[in-house]
Amino acid sequence: MIRISTARRALTGAALLAAPFAASQSASAAEPLKVCASKIEAPYSTEKGDGLENRIANVVAKAMGREIEFVWFDRAAIYLVRDGLDKNLCDVVFGVDSDDERVLATKPIYRTGYVYVTKSEGGPELGSNWKGLEKTDATRFAVRFSTPAELILKEAGKYEDNVSYGLSLVNFQDKRNKYTQVEAGKLVSEVVNGDADAAIAFAPDVARYVKGASTPLKMTMIEDDFARSDGLKIPLHFDQSIGVRKDDEKLRAELDAAIAKAKPEIDRALSDEGVPVLPPNA
Amino acid sequence: MTKLRTSVSAFTLTAAAAIGVAGSILPAFANDKLVELSNSEENWPMTGKTYKAQNYSKATQINAENVKGLRPAWAFSTGVLHGHEGTPLVIGDKMYVHGAFPNPTFALDLNEPGKILWQHKPKQAPTARAVACCDVVNRGLAYWPGDGKTGARILKTQLDGHIVALDADTGAEVWKMENSDIKVGSTLTIAPYVIKDTVLVGSSGAELGVRGYVTAYDVKTGAQKWRAYATGPDDEVKLAKDFNSKNPHYGQFGLGTNKTWEGDAWKIGGGTNWGWYAYDPDTNLFYYGSGNPAPWNETMRPGDNKWTMTIWGRDIDTGEAKFGYQKTPHDEWDYAGVNVMMLSEQKDKTGKLRKLLTHPDRNGIVYTLDREDGTLISADKLDDTVNWVKQVDLKTGVPVRDPEFATRMDHKATEICPSAMGYHNQGHDSYDPEKQRFYMGINHICMDWEPFMLPYRAGQFFVGATLWMYPGPKGDRQNYEGLGQIKSYDAINNKYDWEKMERFSVWGGTLATAGNIVFYGTLDGFIKARDTRTGDLLWKYRLPSGVIGHPMTYTHKGVQYVAIYYGVGGWPGVGLVFDLNDPTAGLGAVGAFKNLANYTQMGGGVQVFSLNGKNPYDDVNVGEWTGKQGG
Repeated sequence: MIRISTARRALTGAALLAAPFAASQSASAAEPLKVCASKIEAPYSTEKGDGLENRIANVVAKAMGREIEFVWFDRAAIYLVRDGLDKNLCDVVFGVDSDDERVLATKPIYRTGYVYVTKSEGGPELGSNWKGLEKTDATRFAVRFSTPAELILKEAGKYEDNVSYGLSLVNFQDKRNKYTQVEAGKLVSEVVNGDADAAIAFAPDVARYVKGASTPLKMTMIEDDFARSDGLKIPLHFDQSIGVRKDDEKLRAELDAAIAKAKPEIDRALSDEGVPVLPPNA
Repeated sequence: MTKLRTSVSAFTLTAAAAIGVAGSILPAFANDKLVELSNSEENWPMTGKTYKAQNYSKATQINAENVKGLRPAWAFSTGVLHGHEGTPLVIGDKMYVHGAFPNPTFALDLNEPGKILWQHKPKQAPTARAVACCDVVNRGLAYWPGDGKTGARILKTQLDGHIVALDADTGAEVWKMENSDIKVGSTLTIAPYVIKDTVLVGSSGAELGVRGYVTAYDVKTGAQKWRAYATGPDDEVKLAKDFNSKNPHYGQFGLGTNKTWEGDAWKIGGGTNWGWYAYDPDTNLFYYGSGNPAPWNETMRPGDNKWTMTIWGRDIDTGEAKFGYQKTPHDEWDYAGVNVMMLSEQKDKTGKLRKLLTHPDRNGIVYTLDREDGTLISADKLDDTVNWVKQVDLKTGVPVRDPEFATRMDHKATEICPSAMGYHNQGHDSYDPEKQRFYMGINHICMDWEPFMLPYRAGQFFVGATLWMYPGPKGDRQNYEGLGQIKSYDAINNKYDWEKMERFSVWGGTLATAGNIVFYGTLDGFIKARDTRTGDLLWKYRLPSGVIGHPMTYTHKGVQYVAIYYGVGGWPGVGLVFDLNDPTAGLGAVGAFKNLANYTQMGGGVQVFSLNGKNPYDDVNVGEWTGKQGG
C-alpha cells in the first residue's frame, strides 16, 4: 500500500516534468483539442456529450479551427484537474472558477451565481438575499454538500435540521472516504415533488432542470452579500473559465481568442440552457 | 446510596422504588430470576453470560486435559449468508439463534437439537440494507424470564431500527417499537439488554450525522421509560446531580453543547452506541460506551466533542449518569468507543478490594475504572505498537498524543497504530475470576491516512482522506497476514502473561472456562482452544465459514457443549461479502483483508461441540418418525 502511494507521487512528478513537451504539442493547430470531461457530471458533461460544457467545448474548438477530442473520465468532474490535466492526459478543463489557483484560467466565459429554486406558485418568499433564509418559516432545503449553499444553511441556523434530509438525497451513501454528491437534477425534483421547500444551488447546476420541470419553478439570483459569522466573505457569484496547465500560456491565449470569437454561440448555449447570467465582473 | 449499596436493605429499597415506577407487584422477581438463571451452567441467558459480562463458565467437563477430544455434536444453518456477530442464548431446553439482516430468530429444541420450535422472520424495508455502513450484522438477543403474570420474552433488534418483543414460547410478536428511523440514517445492530423489567437498546449510524442515544423500554409494554443522548444539554444527556463528583477533572456540566462543539454541531454529533452493556445490581448502574463523533472529518467539529467516546455508568431506573469518562477527546481516527465492558472484583495495587470495569477500547488502550465512581485505575496499551498516544495520564485521564500520528490536513500520517478498525473492535472478550486474567482478541492493523482537499467550481470543495490498512509491525506486510493476536492480560499489574499471533483479526471475542481453556473463533474459519495459563494451542476445528461472533458454553442433561456462530462478514469482511477490490474501500479494510477470500466464504450458522461429539442423537431413536399418530 505504501508503495502504491509513492508510485502515485512519482507519477505526478513525471507528469510535471513532461508538461513543457505537452504544451508544445498542444500548440500545433493540427492537433485536436483534448478536453478533460466527466461522464457523470450532468448537466455540465455527460457520457452522451449533451452537457452544457460539452456544447461550449465544441463551440470553442470550432472557433479555434481544431478538432475536439473528449478524454472521458468515469469519476466526477471534481477530479479532472488532479487526475486528468495534471497528469497530461488531457489539456483543458471547462468549468473552473476564474481564480482557481491550480490552473491558468482563461478570461471568464460567463458569470453567474447561486439561486433560490422555488415553486412559482405557493413557494416560500425568500427574497433575493441569503438572510431570506433566516426569516422564512420554510424548513426543508435541498443543497449540494460542501458548497456556499450549505454554508448559508449553517449561518441561517437551518443546517442541523437538514443533515439527515440531505443524506437521504444520496441514499445514505457513506461519505467517509469518497466523494458523494447530490445529483443536480435531484435538487430540482425535490422542489417539484414538494419534499423540499426550496433548493439553493449554483444556477447552471439546475437551470436545465428548472426549465424542463413539470411544475412551473422560478430561480431567484441571491445577492453577493454573504459572510460567515467570523467575518469571512463567501462569494456567491462566480466567473467561470476554462483551465489549462499553469505553464500553458500559449494554449490559454488561443482559447481567449476563441472565446471572444465564439461569444454569440456561447451566449446562445447559456440562454438555451436557461442560465441567468450576470454582467462580467468589473 | 453509596453507603447502602452492598446491604440487602438497599436492594429492597431499590425494588420498592421500582414498584412505584412500574406499577407492578413483584418487579424485582424477573431480575432475580435472570441472575439465578445466569449463575447456572445450564443457561447462557445474555451475551456475556452474566451481568458481569465475563463470558466465563464454571463448567469443567471440557478442560485443558481433554479438550482435544472435542468433536462436532450438531449444527444449524440460519439460512443467512452475511456476517454473524454475537452468540446464541440458551435457557433450559431451548437455544435462541439470531441472524444478520433480514434478522431471523429461531428457537431450537435442545432435546432434538436443530429442531425449530418457532421462527420469527420479519419483513423489513430493503432500504435498511443501504443505510448500514459495514455489512448488515446483528449482535444478538436478550431474554426476560417473565414475572409469574407475564410470560417470558425474547427481545430482538432489526436493522430497520425496530426493537421487537417476542413470546419466548411461541415466537409471536408481543410489541414492536421504532427506536431508530432509517429515514434519518439510523439503524440497529446492537443486541438489546434486559435489566429488571427494562430493556435497553442503543443506536447506530454516527457516520450519517445521527445524534446517539440509549433508550429504556418497559419490557412488558414497549413503553419508553427514558432516553439519554450522548451530546447536547445536560438534561438530555441525563447527568445526575453528582455527575463525576469524584472525578471533576473528567468534566461535569454544560459540556455537551457549544463548549466542546462549534455552534449546534452537537445536534448531528454522533456518539451512537452499538456495542455491549454490563450491569451491577449493587450500584444499580449499567455500563456502556458511546461511539465516535460526527462528521467523520475532524476539521469540521473543533473541540472535545463531549460526550462521544465516553465510558458511562448510568442508573438503570432513571437513566441518569453517575460518571462519564471521555477516552478520546476530539477523535481523529474513528476510534468508536463502544466496546465490551467486563466487570470484576479485584484488589488494587494497595491491596484494596474494588469493584472494577475493564474496557479494551478501539483506540488501543485497555482501561480499568472503579465502577462505583469512574476513577481511572489503569490504562495500558493493548500492544506495545500503539503510537497515536504516548500514554494516558492517570491523574487527569488525558491521552498524551503524538502529533506525528494525527490526521490533520497537510500531513500524511504513515503507520498510525491502531488503524480506524481499532486494536480491538466489537468482540466480546472474557475474564477468568479465579485467575484474574482477561483474554482478549486483538486486531493487529495499522494505517496510512492521507487527507486531501479538492476544490471545484462555485466555491465547492471536497475534503477527504485516503486510508490504507495493513498488518501491524509484528505481522507480514508482504502477504497481508499476521493481522491479529490473542493475549492474557493482568489489569492490576499492567502486564500480559502471554500473547500469540493470528493470521487474521480475532474479531469476535473469547470464552473462558474454569477448565483452564479460552475458546475463540478466527476470521479464516477456525474455532480454537488455548490453555489460559500458557496460551498453548490445544485444539482447533475448521468451520464452514469465518467467525466474527464469540463462543458460549452450556450444559444440557449432563453434557457440556460449546457453541459458536460461523458466518464471515462485518467490517473485516466487507470486501469479501460485497466483492470489493479497491484496497482503500471500506476505509481500507478491503486492502487489509484482501487474503481473507482465499481462506473462507460466506455462510451463516451455529456449530455445537461436545467431548466425542456426544449428543441426543446418540440414541438413534431420538427424533425418528414413528409413524402416523393415532394410527
